[in-house]
Amino acid sequence: MKKIIINIILFITFIIIYILQSNLFTWFQIAGVMPNLFIIFILFIGLYASKFIGTIYGVVIGLLLDFFISKKVGITAIMLGIIGLIGVIFDKNFSKENRITLIVMVAISTIIYEVGTYILSYFIYNNDIQILAFIQILAIECFYNILLTIILYPLMQIFGNKIEEEYKGDKILTRYF
Amino acid sequence: MYSRKKYGILGVVVTIIILILLFALTNTQNSKLSYIENLANKIVMPIQNGLVYLKNKVNGKSSFFENVSNLKNENQQLIERNTELEKQLRELEVMKAENETLKQYLDITQKYSDYATIPADVINRDISNYSKTIVINRGANDGIKENMTVIAAEGLVGYVISVTSTTAKVQTIIDTSSATSCLLSTSRDSIVCKGTLNDQSHLKAMYIATDAVVSQGDTIETSGIGGIYPKGILVGNVSKVENTTDLSNRYALVELAVDFARLETVLVITN
Repeated sequence: MKKIIINIILFITFIIIYILQSNLFTWFQIAGVMPNLFIIFILFIGLYASKFIGTIYGVVIGLLLDFFISKKVGITAIMLGIIGLIGVIFDKNFSKENRITLIVMVAISTIIYEVGTYILSYFIYNNDIQILAFIQILAIECFYNILLTIILYPLMQIFGNKIEEEYKGDKILTRYF
Repeated sequence: MYSRKKYGILGVVVTIIILILLFALTNTQNSKLSYIENLANKIVMPIQNGLVYLKNKVNGKSSFFENVSNLKNENQQLIERNTELEKQLRELEVMKAENETLKQYLDITQKYSDYATIPADVINRDISNYSKTIVINRGANDGIKENMTVIAAEGLVGYVISVTSTTAKVQTIIDTSSATSCLLSTSRDSIVCKGTLNDQSHLKAMYIATDAVVSQGDTIETSGIGGIYPKGILVGNVSKVENTTDLSNRYALVELAVDFARLETVLVITN
């Protein structure tokens, strides 16, 4: 029952993020660059929920985003799925109780997601490679995502711990040792 | 004893001085005293006015209280009237906005009267920093099909890449995967305009023929080559020409006619 409630909350969060991303952040930009809250969201699920939940959420949300706005279906789904997996890997190897660690995780995930998307787009759409412009946008996006993570960290911890307790139960050791 | 006597003398002296002053003042001509009078007026008049106002208020209090109930009714009527007027104002504002939108539709329809068009609103924009697709509120139900050209009042916007029953995705010309075949309006030389990652207001004009003459301010329009965009739709103006040592690599920056950051209304060319 609790799991159903958690999943409903996660779905509502997805809708809120989608509205924020497609409305608020189209004008609330830093140097013309938007953040990507979906990366933070999927990484958060990967870190706190059980194995593969992050990946499943990543793929499903990615598919929805592809249907809503992308030129072709698949790229966002694959990349967000990978971010979900990365969340699981991070969870196994690092402690998410530290704010700095979480910030580094978000930065790395943003870089992996955007570089992956850019490479896939290059092969699919035959885009021109504009490395300098890409790095510039990526750096600002990372910075923006980090700022949002710092703001959202307390909320992420409270809700994250509830998800973790429900999905992992007594397997949680890192928090006590 | 001594002190009382002293004060008594002082009082008498002061009284005498006042008396003399009063005498002098009352027997002098008024004109000589006008400046003193003015000064006194300036000091006293505001106070006097205030006191008179208060007096009038107090005198009229009975009628004031008598009118309270009337005033209450009047106030109620005014509030209702105000609410009604505010409502009307809101309705007018909505009508004004509608009028603006319809005007925009009319402007672009008249400008491109040779084409059969369907007006549409932009309802969604890409959430990524690296692609620039938009979603419009017209779809297959309205007769929109893939590869149809989308324009705005100022010029070319892009083309439809996919359609649902009620919406359509449009790949804009500023998207990095977009390449638009264009013509320089003065020399009629052919170029290809591509979107850049970090600039929403410029395109990069490439593949400029070595003998082509490109100068700042030249108008760029679609060439019709490629079969997606009709010929002669305005794209923008050349804002800068970057000459390289190898002439075949030179490129120009095209300032777009359409402001993509504020794009709200578009037309889909259906024929």
